[in-house]
Amino acid sequence: MAIVKDRSNWSKLGTVLKYTLLTIGAFVMLAPFADMFLGALRTPAERISQPPVYFPRDPQWGNYLRVFTELPMLRWMGNSLFVTAMVTALQLLTSAMAGYALAKYNFRGRDILFRSVLGAQMFPFFLFIIPIFFILRYFPLFGGNDILGQGGSGFLNTYAAIILPFSITWYGIFLMRQFFMAVPNELMDAARLDGAGEFRIFFSIALPLVLPGLATLGIFVFVYQWNEVIWTMTVTRTAPDLQTIPVGIYLLRGAFIDQSTRSLQQAALGVSILPVIVTFLFLQRYYVRGLTAGAVKG
Amino acid sequence: MTDTSPTASEQMLSAAREDLIDQEPPRRSLAARLSSKAVAPWIFITPMLLFGAVFFILPLLYAFFISLTRWNSLSAPKWVGFKHYEYLLTTDPVFWQTFWNTMYFAAASIGIGVPLAMVLAYAFTRSKGRTVWRSIYWLPMITNVVAVAYIWKFVLDDRYGLLNRALGFLGLGAPGWLTDPNLALTSVVLIFVWMQLGHNMLLFSAGLASIDESYYEAARLDGANERQCFFRITVPLLMPTTLFVLITNFISGLSYFTLMLVLTDGNGGPLRSTTVTALYMYKMAFEDLRMGRASAVAYLLFAVILVITLI
Repeated sequence: MAIVKDRSNWSKLGTVLKYTLLTIGAFVMLAPFADMFLGALRTPAERISQPPVYFPRDPQWGNYLRVFTELPMLRWMGNSLFVTAMVTALQLLTSAMAGYALAKYNFRGRDILFRSVLGAQMFPFFLFIIPIFFILRYFPLFGGNDILGQGGSGFLNTYAAIILPFSITWYGIFLMRQFFMAVPNELMDAARLDGAGEFRIFFSIALPLVLPGLATLGIFVFVYQWNEVIWTMTVTRTAPDLQTIPVGIYLLRGAFIDQSTRSLQQAALGVSILPVIVTFLFLQRYYVRGLTAGAVKG
Repeated sequence: MTDTSPTASEQMLSAAREDLIDQEPPRRSLAARLSSKAVAPWIFITPMLLFGAVFFILPLLYAFFISLTRWNSLSAPKWVGFKHYEYLLTTDPVFWQTFWNTMYFAAASIGIGVPLAMVLAYAFTRSKGRTVWRSIYWLPMITNVVAVAYIWKFVLDDRYGLLNRALGFLGLGAPGWLTDPNLALTSVVLIFVWMQLGHNMLLFSAGLASIDESYYEAARLDGANERQCFFRITVPLLMPTTLFVLITNFISGLSYFTLMLVLTDGNGGPLRSTTVTALYMYKMAFEDLRMGRASAVAYLLFAVILVITLI
């Protein structure tokens, strides 16, 4: 970028200041994280010693193993993987379909629908927590409910309750529409002349051309869903078998009472964030695109 | 019996054959019609319409209906009209307390977070090793909120937290970061700023990338230093991005409550000092089982956000 030819003292001072700022910031970002990973390795005595011990002298690696033997970590991890995979797959498909229709067809009401998609993004999530909870609870004909939604527990305490409310997002539809807008119409018209149906055109011509868009939305949804807490906690509070990693660790907080189990808790939290960090290291450039696409709109 | 059955089966066979002959052409044309340009878009958009009806429009209406009733979710709802709204706005002191907590949280988190993100993004886009810096600053924003909350709970613990033990070692006082009612919400703001910093830096660096480098070159030729470049070129030209970040952060700050919930074991303490309005709603609904009043809180908070968005 900038080639600093000016060798004046001010500019040198600026450079020093820049890196000092960035280094202090990086320390503030990293030190608490390291405290969690290292806290899992400290002995109970080291956890409360004065002066404080940051790097444990005798690392308790066993705590990371205890996470898998003393906590239902594998169950939580399976739930997290399943829910995240389902939500990501559903959202990619439904957002791509809706985004494609809004970008590439002229049909009555399209512009109103698109404006509704933009407007719907303004509605905050907290507004939906109570009504969606009870819509799932009283969903007719599911989970022992009769046709009026009475008698059973509906979708509550099932995976569907965690997954369905996230099966589509307005943001995903908006993002996919933007990507489909860039696909030239000539390609699809040529396929139509060759006699291809609209669904073939969608799946074998349009979709492959927006793979970067799918990757962007995919990593976005993956990170969001893996880290989702409020909704999952609300619908799985009484169903330990369905809890995801963060929800499970939070709801089990009463079990982490002394210094030894707190190390176990920190180890479990460390395990909960590793999959995202690894995914992110490989796919972060797609994430940037998703965030900045949202910013362009405003 | 023996006479009629062959005839019957023959009749059925021939009827079936006629069915086949009759139905085959329209069936093919049905498939063709479904994948025609006129019908296909409606099929593509059907999932969105279904979802919009069941998980968007219906909940909004349903929540409004619930807010006009007294309902503990176990027995039948009882119609009370606008009583909840009236009570919250005129009688309930807690609602207003949580409202000011919310405003303080949203305002303080942009007041501290946005300038910080801008300066760091500026330093970041003009330095070496950008991938490394970026990965470091992004770490908190891809971390689940339970981990974030407990990372800081351990660091900020009154007696055994790393920070207070370090302060004690240096002979300084030990503030109750999360236990002092006058300090707790500010601590939450700082943790939230820490969480959001990478996100906002990213938005700023996208804005910075769109500023033409020739401005800086011209300014340097005229002898401008780094500080002048920042305040005279970067800040004014970055205005659209800054406004976008300020507005979106403020709005999302008003509806945020997950961090407070996890940090305080769901009670928004000490002494309700970290109870923001959305958390007040959540507790009211799922702990006190006051679905009606909680829905009214949700709609009131939404009205505030809507007014601020439209301004």
